[in-house]
Amino acid sequence: MRWILSFLLLAFLATVQAVSSAGYKLLVVLEELADKSKYSKYLGDLEARGFSISYESPKSDKVALFTLGERAWDHVLILPPKAKGLGPLLTPKLLLDFINAGGNILVALSASQPTPSGLISLLLELDIHIPTDRSALVIDHFNYDTLSAAEKHDVVLVPRPDAIRPDVKNFFKGDGKGGEAIAFPRPVAQTLGNASPLLTPLIRAPRSAYSYSPKDDVDSVEDPFAVGQQLSLITTMQARNSARFTVVGSSELLEDTWFDAKVKRSVGMNGAPAGNEFKTSNQAFAKEVTGWTFKETGVLKVGQIEHHLNETGSEIVSNPKIYRVKNNVSYSIELSEYSWDKWIPFTPPTGDIVQLEFSMLSPFHRLPLKVAETTLTSTIYTTSFKLPDQHGIFNFKVNYKRPFYTNVEEKNTVTVRHFAHDEWPRSWVITGAWPWIAGIGATVTGWVAFVGLWLWSKPVPLKGAKGGKKNL
Amino acid sequence: MTDSIVEPFLKGNTGRNTRGILRLSILCLIAAAAIASRLFSVILDPWFNFRATKYLVANGFYDFWDWFDDRTWHPLGRVTGGTLYPGLMVTSGAIYHALRALTIPVDIRNICVLLAPGFSGLTAFATYLFTNEMSTSPSAGLLAAAFMGIAPGYISRSVAGSYDNEAIAIFLLVFTFYLWIKALKLGSAMWGALCALFYGYMVSAWGGYVFITNLIPLHVFVLVCMGRFSPRLYVSYCTWYSLGTLASMQIPFVGFLPIRSSEHMSALGVFGLLQLIGFVEFVRSGVPSKQFTTLLRGFVLAVFTIAFGGLVLLTVSGVIAPWTGRFYSLWDTGYAKIHIPIIASVSEHQPTAWPAFFFDLNLLIWLFPAGVYLCFLKLADEQVFVVVYAILASYFSGVMVRLMLTLTPIVCVAAALVLSHLLDTYLTMTSPDAPAEGASDATNGAAKKAIKQDGLRSMRSPLVGIYTTFSKGSVVSALTAYLLLFVLHCTWVTSNAYSSPSVVLASRMPDGSQHIIDDYREAYQWLRQNTKTDAKIMSWWDYGYQIGGMADRPTLVDNNTWNNTHIATVGKAMSSSEEVSYPIMRQHEVDYVLVVFGGLLGYSGDDINKFLWMVRIAEGIWPDEVKERDFFTERGEYRVDGGATETMKNSLMYKMSYYNYHTMFPAGQCQDRVRGVKMPDQGPVLNTLDEAFTSENWIIRIYKVKDLDNVGRNHTAAASFERGNKKKKTTKRRGPKVLRVE
Amino acid sequence: MRFSSLLPSALVLGAGIAEAASGWNFDEAIISVSAKGAAGAAGAFKDKLSDHVPLSKPVTLGQTETLKIILTATENGEPKRPHQAFLLLRDQDTGLEETFPLQTKESGKGKVDFATLKSQKDLPIQLLTSSQPLRATLLLASFGSTQAFANHVFNLDIQTDPNVAKPKYEKPLRYGQLGEINHIFKADPKSGPVIISLLFTVAVVAAVPILFGSWVLLGANLSHLPKATAAAPVSHSLFFSSILGMEGIFFLYYYNWSLFEMLPVAGVIGLVTFLSGSKALSEVQSRRLAGER
Repeated sequence: MRWILSFLLLAFLATVQAVSSAGYKLLVVLEELADKSKYSKYLGDLEARGFSISYESPKSDKVALFTLGERAWDHVLILPPKAKGLGPLLTPKLLLDFINAGGNILVALSASQPTPSGLISLLLELDIHIPTDRSALVIDHFNYDTLSAAEKHDVVLVPRPDAIRPDVKNFFKGDGKGGEAIAFPRPVAQTLGNASPLLTPLIRAPRSAYSYSPKDDVDSVEDPFAVGQQLSLITTMQARNSARFTVVGSSELLEDTWFDAKVKRSVGMNGAPAGNEFKTSNQAFAKEVTGWTFKETGVLKVGQIEHHLNETGSEIVSNPKIYRVKNNVSYSIELSEYSWDKWIPFTPPTGDIVQLEFSMLSPFHRLPLKVAETTLTSTIYTTSFKLPDQHGIFNFKVNYKRPFYTNVEEKNTVTVRHFAHDEWPRSWVITGAWPWIAGIGATVTGWVAFVGLWLWSKPVPLKGAKGGKKNL
Repeated sequence: MTDSIVEPFLKGNTGRNTRGILRLSILCLIAAAAIASRLFSVILDPWFNFRATKYLVANGFYDFWDWFDDRTWHPLGRVTGGTLYPGLMVTSGAIYHALRALTIPVDIRNICVLLAPGFSGLTAFATYLFTNEMSTSPSAGLLAAAFMGIAPGYISRSVAGSYDNEAIAIFLLVFTFYLWIKALKLGSAMWGALCALFYGYMVSAWGGYVFITNLIPLHVFVLVCMGRFSPRLYVSYCTWYSLGTLASMQIPFVGFLPIRSSEHMSALGVFGLLQLIGFVEFVRSGVPSKQFTTLLRGFVLAVFTIAFGGLVLLTVSGVIAPWTGRFYSLWDTGYAKIHIPIIASVSEHQPTAWPAFFFDLNLLIWLFPAGVYLCFLKLADEQVFVVVYAILASYFSGVMVRLMLTLTPIVCVAAALVLSHLLDTYLTMTSPDAPAEGASDATNGAAKKAIKQDGLRSMRSPLVGIYTTFSKGSVVSALTAYLLLFVLHCTWVTSNAYSSPSVVLASRMPDGSQHIIDDYREAYQWLRQNTKTDAKIMSWWDYGYQIGGMADRPTLVDNNTWNNTHIATVGKAMSSSEEVSYPIMRQHEVDYVLVVFGGLLGYSGDDINKFLWMVRIAEGIWPDEVKERDFFTERGEYRVDGGATETMKNSLMYKMSYYNYHTMFPAGQCQDRVRGVKMPDQGPVLNTLDEAFTSENWIIRIYKVKDLDNVGRNHTAAASFERGNKKKKTTKRRGPKVLRVE
Repeated sequence: MRFSSLLPSALVLGAGIAEAASGWNFDEAIISVSAKGAAGAAGAFKDKLSDHVPLSKPVTLGQTETLKIILTATENGEPKRPHQAFLLLRDQDTGLEETFPLQTKESGKGKVDFATLKSQKDLPIQLLTSSQPLRATLLLASFGSTQAFANHVFNLDIQTDPNVAKPKYEKPLRYGQLGEINHIFKADPKSGPVIISLLFTVAVVAAVPILFGSWVLLGANLSHLPKATAAAPVSHSLFFSSILGMEGIFFLYYYNWSLFEMLPVAGVIGLVTFLSGSKALSEVQSRRLAGER
């Protein structure tokens, strides 16, 4: 019987591992369990992908993020609550601790339900700003859904996002055909500080969009919170420990209604005529965003790291602690990427490379790593180089940090020693030393001959004034 | 008469043997006393030498030679084999292996601990030999040996466990001088070669070898100036110089210095001078013309001048390394403070206070001039050496406390010469026969004449003896009392001043009992047990060796101060604000920072009191970023209380020292007992460091360097959030607007 | 991002004309640039904006100057106040765009004036440092189904005062690929020309025959060899061979021996040298005393 049990356990573990690289325990925070039905498709997708979901109200005791000091959940999804606060178990500090402990959080905001102040201060800590007026929403007179928001223009239709930089991988482009649209009903605008490299706007509002508060009954906006592309609709923050935090501007985006809804584009800024009715891509897009946030995509894993002496005639010893200056050394690192349910070989996007630094205080070498071998689940990158002519304690450092990929920061410390006394070229190799070597030889010869003379020479009679030199 | 019993033992061949045995046993007793007096307390220090010795014993000589130490000077590492004097470690290693070969199992640590006392016994013996060359009286040597054995000036560096280069270097110093005198007296190449051999040993053991390198040429130069050039001098000096220089060049740390640095040029110059004079003497012996002799003299002078000019030229052009800073500081005590604060910051490099002479040498110091005077009376070649040595060492010991060590041997020798002279005069059992009347008259008559002719005539026919037993008794008993007092003093000084190791502090409780303050070892033990083995510790360099040895953790800087820039980097990190220090600490991969704080206990040797040196050393490298002036108030005071300057209050060192200190006291009573000031009630705030450990008496405080904030905030913001402060919502924009870019 | 958003704005031109009749538009748009404190002074720039053709020349904006646009927005030809009246300024290097809402003022007769005041101070730092003129697009839109207006109206050339230091803009840290670094090695120490070394070597080696020659000339000989070997055969041969041996040891030490291989052997040989040497040399002395030397 036992083997069946263990087999079951194994099978269970296998399915569990298929879900996300960071675990399957998902906490969904929503105020009324009845609201669950609104998100049934979205949550159903999650469950289908293997997440085990617990639903808790923010006020409940079971919503605690930590039990006995250990992280209780792997992921947290916070749907907008009706109440003004999130309760004492979801304070900004606890949420931040959760991120620091490696947990992932997805927060959905809504313009119709004011964002809790706790969340606002958490967002502020992360340098994400949302309008002070809590009912402010984003509208766009050029990219709205003519079916549902013909008058108010508050359902913004946004195409699939482009990569934020040409050298950054785009996880959210769908099948990449284009022509799709994601409906953002009544989104809450976010702006990002410019300093932090951890923040990335996953999707930005169109150029003509702006945020305004319907409460201010004015004819014309004069000081909008944010406009155009500075306005982020979905913001991501990947912490240094690779914990992910995503703010989705519109919770309605995840609702069943908008998964199925048909939309029709308005006349765009380029004057392109309104097209036909078509289905939103919300469902697929929500899967991509959630999958990324809960570490189903964009997760990198370092396999084996190996470095060794690469000199002719030297036997290969893996990962020695010490090298000598000017040694030739090879370094290799194995990288895998997690894609939904499996590890695949990692290849950086075009225009990007993996680099190796060899550094002490500052890098002495920064070299591109080349693909040496691809296995089923990983790519092995390698490079060979000559150690600098400086002794010290150096690090082999692969610091691969890119937006949307988990951070790879691998440091392998080695000592680089100076030349030992017997590792320098021998003196007979150095041409400049020849006269000195010859000098030693001459002295030795002279000395030995002198000893012989001293011992066995017979004095000769003096010739003239000068005497024989041995006439002591 | 009692004499009759011992008579046979003191006369003839038997007498010589008896005296020999007696002398030997006295020497043995002196050596035993020397060793015993150094055993008051045993704490191994400095740890680096011990660590190096262990490495040598474990890995063998050649690995030690090529040793690259990656646990000090992080991240530069230290080419240890090439930057230390290996003599000490090799000596211990050789003793260790010799004992092993004799199947005596002994721990290397015991050898290290007992090496210094052991060698002090040898030093006493070497002093005996040296003094015997100076005086015909056998008692002088024995007295000198006894003095050397217990003089506090030497004990200070050779107590058990004081495992430093000086432990063997002083023996080598004295013994090299003895061999030099021997070689000079005999004009023997063999003794000269032996002298060179021990000189080479000395070079391998201590940087103070430069003292020999300059003293012997100076002695020779003085002799030449006195017109005492002789083949003896020529042979002994040339043998010593050529072999000794070759030997010294075998030490990697010395390398080509003997021909490249100014400190060694006097030896080379005298060597050249001797060749010239030798040549001239040779020519003169063949050509007995007066004019030609004058011409030769001129020639010698000209060559000497040209050579000297060439030397200066080479020095200026940089081929010969100019005088090092340490050397300049020997001539100008203020020089180091301005130009090389790192040297001046060492307490051993401070000028000696006058009481220190009496403290370290007691009665010897006032016998010393008399001894030198006695040498003037005879002034043979070897006495000239004593005079030259005395003058040079007196000067240097006044400049640097550390060099008291080189003065001690000659003071012992000179004092022993005087005392033996006195005792020889006053301890003669038999009173001289009363001079015959006539003779007396004659003497008197002669004296009368002499007064007329020459005031010093009486000196020419010296007194022949002391007549009254009373004067003998009183002088001898007075001297005995002095000697006993000297022994008492030495014992007291040794037990009180020189046997308290720096890592354990002792204080007296109000009831008189001794209280041991063991914070250092507590902290090092904490580091050893609670941190990763490769956790890098940043502290001021004074504690580098101890952390490396006792806590076994890599350090950024240590007592081997070869890299001024690296020390200045640590100084900068300590004296700058957190915003500046943090990147430095990150760059150097610092995990923990250790500071010594004496405010609670009143321990004055703490880092705040050393702080200005850190500032000065940092200012030497970054004059724009660290300024000593900023640490002084408007009125030029160095304050740490509420009136301290902002720079002071923001400096990492200040913050680490006083962090949470106010919580020890009720409000308004926070006090720093070292500086004797009242501290403000609000303590400093640390954002980039976490307090990790504070020892029992707060002497050692260890801080952990925080990692970068996980969500990308700066540390101030993160720490503020931790304290529960909410971020201000409307952050007013300063400067031009900035758009978010990717 | 930058390419995709550049393209639509290029298309704005043609489309604008087609839609001009209905939807949002504007009338009597006047753009003016005036120096601060001297509004309307001579030399100030003034022009009329067209709703379908951008101004042919870029409008220049100096350090202290102010840009002002006054226009009347119209919905389907009727003056009306739109909800959105934005002027978009785009950096053509990077595609960065900043938006300036126009201040709207209601005036009589349902006519609406828009005015905007813009000096360099209001511009974000990244736009100030742009190398090309900024592309200005005017947006007029409001709720409802009326077609919104968006058109490229003019280019704005930012002229910075060469005397005033340009505002510094440090690119913020973004994760990406970094430049390659290759350590530059110190040059290896080199020996001088071989020919000179050889010359000196030959000179040094030549000293040996010269020395021997001069010895021979001076009458050096080995005539006492038989006598010496007869008197003390063992010590003489041992002494000489031990001296040779010592040189051999030195050579081996130089070649590949370690110190600890060399020291014991040297000690043994040294002892032999000492013992045999004292014998051999006293034999030599005896010859000297005998007057044979």
